[in-house]
Amino acid sequence: MNPAPPSPGPPRPPAGLADLFLGFLSIGARAFGGVLPWAHRVLVEERRWLAPEDFSEVLALCQFLPGPNIANMSVVLGRRWFGFPGAVIGFLGLMALPFFWVLALAMLYADWSAQPSVRAVIAGVGIAGGGLIIGTALKLGRPLARKPAAAAIVAACFIAVGLLRVPLLIVLPVAVLLALAAARRGLA
Amino acid sequence: MLELFLHFALLSLLAVGGISTVMPEMHRVVVETEGWVSGAEFTQLFALSQAAPGPNVLIVSLIGWKVAGITGALVALAGFCLPAAALAWSVGGLWERFRDAPWRALVQRALLPVTIGLVCAGGYVLATPEGLGWRNALIACASAGALHATRLNPLWILAAGGVAGWLLFT
Repeated sequence: MNPAPPSPGPPRPPAGLADLFLGFLSIGARAFGGVLPWAHRVLVEERRWLAPEDFSEVLALCQFLPGPNIANMSVVLGRRWFGFPGAVIGFLGLMALPFFWVLALAMLYADWSAQPSVRAVIAGVGIAGGGLIIGTALKLGRPLARKPAAAAIVAACFIAVGLLRVPLLIVLPVAVLLALAAARRGLA
Repeated sequence: MLELFLHFALLSLLAVGGISTVMPEMHRVVVETEGWVSGAEFTQLFALSQAAPGPNVLIVSLIGWKVAGITGALVALAGFCLPAAALAWSVGGLWERFRDAPWRALVQRALLPVTIGLVCAGGYVLATPEGLGWRNALIACASAGALHATRLNPLWILAAGGVAGWLLFT
């Protein structure tokens, strides 16, 4: 398929509610293995509704709000661009297709789950999906490469949550306090 | 049905950082307390919600579907999404209002590395469903590298992951 077109010029918000709906629909429709890589691709690279820094910023906000991150993102961005109708339309666009696809898959899977090759393929796709999420994090983290304190916070959060599985309710406050202290000193 | 809605509404507000945070708690409520699905079914539904395109939050609608069909699926998903969406709505508004406040720039700079670390951790958790092994590491690193270094459509990367899974795991 086509690579994301490198359209020039500064990012521009969606043209209208229909455009917004289709944009989020195209995120949900293709979001195999996690929504985040697709959200980044559509919002920043394909449709250029957001600058890369802007994307990171909204994502950060949505991660600290409870609930599904990208669904929160659809609400926050929908509101920013079109108020209440935008929030509703963005959210529905994101959820519409995946809702039916997951139910359809659940019905199909009941017949196929005994096949070891089906399980192996599904496992491979899931792992590759995890890899895509890590690749997206690398893209988002490019601006931090020359800031050692920020890189240390990235590593500490990864180790605590990913490797040690410390509950987020403990990790978040500690990490945010440390990061705020680093940011105040101009280190992050 | 009301119970389904309320349980998921409560879980929604606990899910700071995304749905993976509340998976243990959801398991406790859905399997142990309410007995809506068995433990094995829960694991299967989780795998399905990961394999299907779309947010992983759809495991909630699969559980609802098991309990009360399509209505249950809608009710459970609404329960899990609406409270969080309402919060996102109001906080998002505040956040826009303080666009130029100096403290916002500071908070933003501080949140960026934390966010990236958590995203990495989320990817790692998804890539190692049964612990770390060389096969997982190979597929995940190759996918991450391909996404980072090329403009390849991610669908191709996922397809390659499926082929690699078939070759390596059977």
